[in-house]
Amino acid sequence: MSLFADGYARRALIEALLVGALCGLVGVHVVLRKLSFFTMAMTHATFPGVVLAALVGVDLLLGSGLFGVFVVLGVSWLSTRPRSDSAAAVGVVLSAGFALGVALLSAQAGFTRDLSAFLVGSIVTVQTGDLVKTALVLVAVGLTLALVGKELVFGAFDRGGLVAAGYPAGRLDLLLLLLIQLTVVSSVPAVGTIQAVALIVAPAATARLWSDRIAPTTVLAVLLGMASGVVGLAVSQAYAVAAGAAIVLAACGFFMLSVMVAPLVRRRPVPVGVG
Amino acid sequence: MRYLIEPFGSPFMQRALAEALLLGAVAAVVSVFVVLRRLAFVSDVLTHTVFPGVVIGFVVAGTGGIVWGALVFAVLSAVLITVLAARSRVTEDASMAIVLTGFFAVGVVLVSRQTSFTSDLTAFLFGRILTVDRQQLVMTAVLGAAVLLLLGLLGKELLFRAFDPAGAEARGYRVLVLDLVLNLAVALVVVAAVRAVGTVLVIALLVVPGAAGRLLSDRLAGIALVAVGTALLAGWLGLVASWQASVNHELRLASGATVVLVLVLLYGAAAGIAALRKVRT
Repeated sequence: MSLFADGYARRALIEALLVGALCGLVGVHVVLRKLSFFTMAMTHATFPGVVLAALVGVDLLLGSGLFGVFVVLGVSWLSTRPRSDSAAAVGVVLSAGFALGVALLSAQAGFTRDLSAFLVGSIVTVQTGDLVKTALVLVAVGLTLALVGKELVFGAFDRGGLVAAGYPAGRLDLLLLLLIQLTVVSSVPAVGTIQAVALIVAPAATARLWSDRIAPTTVLAVLLGMASGVVGLAVSQAYAVAAGAAIVLAACGFFMLSVMVAPLVRRRPVPVGVG
Repeated sequence: MRYLIEPFGSPFMQRALAEALLLGAVAAVVSVFVVLRRLAFVSDVLTHTVFPGVVIGFVVAGTGGIVWGALVFAVLSAVLITVLAARSRVTEDASMAIVLTGFFAVGVVLVSRQTSFTSDLTAFLFGRILTVDRQQLVMTAVLGAAVLLLLGLLGKELLFRAFDPAGAEARGYRVLVLDLVLNLAVALVVVAAVRAVGTVLVIALLVVPGAAGRLLSDRLAGIALVAVGTALLAGWLGLVASWQASVNHELRLASGATVVLVLVLLYGAAAGIAALRKVRT
């Protein structure tokens, strides 16, 4: 672990572990509900929020979180329009968000440097304050999922049943979307807006290959998320490549490996995906 | 009126306009299929998977190599995505998201080895429409013609498959091949657009015009007409807005992003018209 001897490297390691755990937790729900494209759109559309927050000087989490709420509302409003389906709505919101972010940034000096930090992350520059924020988000998300995780899973498999059982299904859906948004915003400093979706989806999808039950899948997803962070950071330090991208590649590597190995190891056939 | 034509006095703006209109028209035609087949996510995946090809092409052969590197990765990823969508062990959306970010991360890793990391990254991601040269215009025209030819030859079959996949299969069409053709068309548009508007903003050209057309019409010809019209108008007005803002109002606006923003505004206008129509009827 001599790679992580310096202060900045140790902070990066802690951030990677925290973000990995957070993404793994939320990722399970994203994968169960097939919300990858939505998450993707959130990551892109959050981008102008990050830029705006940086320009105005508000806290990044707060600025992009607020913006994310608008995005969620925009997507759900557009998808209910006649002749407009959710894929197109997400596509439009995604394009709008990204273009707005780029246009806003281009009006600033120091355009390219800031831009790439937002886009692909710069984990080695995280401060202690960022770590505290990420830890708080992790605790909040963990508590929320501990409280309503069962209901969310119920809704993922049988939304009609959830409504019939008297749960506020709409509000639960919205809560999950907000949790995803919070996770995306928190992982921006580590891996950047474009790649946050990888850290959310890949560990959970990998865990899903190894288990059909929610609890082990969740534990495994969290562990894989954290492992991706550590491995990615180590690789990035050893070979001087972008840290965020190395973390993402580590997460994807675990996935590829599991796609090949899991069916050989597990006796029961892995469930065939929809589509 | 002068306000709208004035920016195109210089040759570089004329070339930028020609590129924007060419790309807009071709992408708009493809976007009709993208919207009908709900391929927005697939398009987004393709825009990102082309990225490492752009970087490798640039590293190996300089700016001239970008298009070729992109082309190789476009074809590769179109095949990969078609196969993944057809038979995936994980749910389709998760595997797509992983392919997307995995490829993209490879690109970022490669760029991060370059000394001019950040400025290269921005150029690859957002393109430089104002530096388009004659050769690039020809390349765009050739790729555009290839895409239109592909869609012209197989348009009927692609539509059949879009509305009734089981029927198309029963009639003996190879659905997998048709899907591959459409994914290739999308990928080629991404390649054509990569140097001008970059990999990230192409998604707008591939989704928004078709979605706007869909809002205003139920007929294919109508959708295509609105889509192409929207894209052309956005290309023109976007460049005007970005030029006027930069020159007369001292507000630098990235041209590619401005074109996309105008496109989204036009989509908003289409949504407004659609809503008004609904109220009247």
